[in-house]
Amino acid sequence: MLKQVQQPLQSMLLIQQANQVACYICGAGNTYDVELCRDCFAPMALAHQAASQKVMPNLVAALGSSAAGKTVYLGMLMDMLSRQPDRLQAFARGAFSINLQQAAAGALARGEFPEKTPCEPDRWNWVHCQIRSHAQKTPLELILPDMPGEALLEELDHPHTYRVVYPLLAKSLGVLIFVDASRLQSGSLDEDYFTMKLLSYLTEIQAGGRHDWSRRPVAFVLTKADECEPCFDDPATFVQFRAPGFWRQCRERFRNYRFFAAGVAGGCAYRSTRYGRVRVPLRVEPRGIVEPFEWIVKQLKS
Amino acid sequence: MQLLHATDYSVAQPTGHHDDAPAKNGGRSWWSRWAARLVRRPSAPTDEPAAALDRPPVVPAQAAGVAAATDLPTLVEGMLEQGRYCLLLRPQITASLSTEQYGLARDALERAMANVPAGLVDLSRRDAESSAEGETLRHVEPLMLDRYQVTNRQFRQFVVAGGYDVLPLWDAEVWPVLAEFVDLTGTAGPRFWRSGRYPSGEDDHPVVGINWYEAVAYSRWVGKRLPTDSEWVKAAAWPVCLADNQVSQRRFPWGDVMDRGRCNVWGSGPGRTAAVTQFSTGVSVGGVYQLIGNVWEWTSGDFDGVDAEGEPLDLPTMLKTIHGGAFDTYFEHQACCDFQSGENPLSRKHNIGFRCALSRCDVGTAVVRTNPLTL
Repeated sequence: MLKQVQQPLQSMLLIQQANQVACYICGAGNTYDVELCRDCFAPMALAHQAASQKVMPNLVAALGSSAAGKTVYLGMLMDMLSRQPDRLQAFARGAFSINLQQAAAGALARGEFPEKTPCEPDRWNWVHCQIRSHAQKTPLELILPDMPGEALLEELDHPHTYRVVYPLLAKSLGVLIFVDASRLQSGSLDEDYFTMKLLSYLTEIQAGGRHDWSRRPVAFVLTKADECEPCFDDPATFVQFRAPGFWRQCRERFRNYRFFAAGVAGGCAYRSTRYGRVRVPLRVEPRGIVEPFEWIVKQLKS
Repeated sequence: MQLLHATDYSVAQPTGHHDDAPAKNGGRSWWSRWAARLVRRPSAPTDEPAAALDRPPVVPAQAAGVAAATDLPTLVEGMLEQGRYCLLLRPQITASLSTEQYGLARDALERAMANVPAGLVDLSRRDAESSAEGETLRHVEPLMLDRYQVTNRQFRQFVVAGGYDVLPLWDAEVWPVLAEFVDLTGTAGPRFWRSGRYPSGEDDHPVVGINWYEAVAYSRWVGKRLPTDSEWVKAAAWPVCLADNQVSQRRFPWGDVMDRGRCNVWGSGPGRTAAVTQFSTGVSVGGVYQLIGNVWEWTSGDFDGVDAEGEPLDLPTMLKTIHGGAFDTYFEHQACCDFQSGENPLSRKHNIGFRCALSRCDVGTAVVRTNPLTL
């Protein structure tokens, strides 16, 4: 009995292998038709866009402990910048870049926080966007990945577990570091330790000259500041007294940093679900969201 | 003497509320801290010896905001300047006023407050599925509601008159923390003021940085009160009662569709508070400004702990209800007439203010007198 099958020509497969596309993050060679890098799982769309549009986007990392509010912050930031013709405007490059803001804003509108970012690298959200500002004529191409805190912690404790982290940070020109202000306020030292580990990891990344990590802009964003109002009044002092270890390390090892306070929910309550007690926003009032990002963009351009 | 009774706060003696436990500030009791602040006030008498500060407070009449003048015309004039016309219009007081004085107070009332007629209002949330029909209908008695949110300039009258030092204006549960209701310089007043003064150029902006108790105290001082949730929604949604107790009401004061040009919410305004007289196209049917946007407004009700979908919430503490959205409210469904949120009554936030209400039954009618009483 005959069976019809579609068999690609071997010559075609050879051509694909011959013309490899380098991953934009780790530089590993990939075939043209793959969606994610076979080595680090970063989207190959980033490399394709860079090649087709003849631009080399800058990388800005967004790092922080688990449930520090990275997804909410980045999603809200992109949604705000794409809606309002204010000082900064963001234009998504590619449909995948809208997923993050859609997930975050959609969940917040329903009165809940977005789900935690999965640990699997192939399910992370990546944003590639063009940032325009009134002050600068030339737009800035940026790539912002949303990495889960668990993955980052695993990489800090066991380097090369997540192969995307090291090349991403080595290539990033700036970083947003998220610190949960409500946890600091409650007296927990976990945030202090985590951030100390992170800063230590960053300073050990091999890079020289201008790209030395101590010179790159670092914006420390104290998230959930709506739950501790003093944080908004003076975020630097708040950190100095609530997280002295991280404060000292920051002063010793970095030259270009600034502290910011940010909050998205005006108030929070809890809802009982079959999975346990979950925190929900009572209302959405973004505050201090654009300022850290605006500062980073300004530093990158200067 | 009824008029004096209505404004006499000089009997503040907080018996039964003495805090025997050592207090934070050097072991001093709450009333000594409160009294110390009273002494620091420039307008308060400062000849009391410091050793006397450990006694429970006795409020001097001047600190209580009672006019020092003994003649009725001066007293009435002073109260009108302070915006306390409602006290003059109390049914028990109007008999003491001349026709002219009554007219002045009545004019002030008409200018500052809008009528809200009696009727039914539906307090259900439109996107909630759990509200049984009819259970959420409330009857509202006729009232008057401030046309504008209380401004910095108006609240300063209260601060200058020593309202923070008049214990009867405040609920007893906050007496121990009253000394902590201070501005950035440690002076009694809203959180974001300095030395008892609001930021320059913000005379007509709504006062913010005040908690629920401060809003209640101010309301009492001017002879008004905070609106209930039903009253607030009634004034904003302006329901029309159809047959069989069916109520048709608006989602926004101007209609059923959000128009960001009519209110100060995220993306439509300056990104901070605006003068209370702006956004005139968003006025309600009854003539009330900015019920939506600019700042959230405290109401007298407790937050029911139910989210927009009718699901019960586990609240961290007792919350008071706020309505209307603010300049930074992001989603339009959170800045509509039927949305309510909750906030800790002690919170002094940058985007929460208030406006006052007055029951129509608390407004006295004119009494024609040929020879008005004098004090």
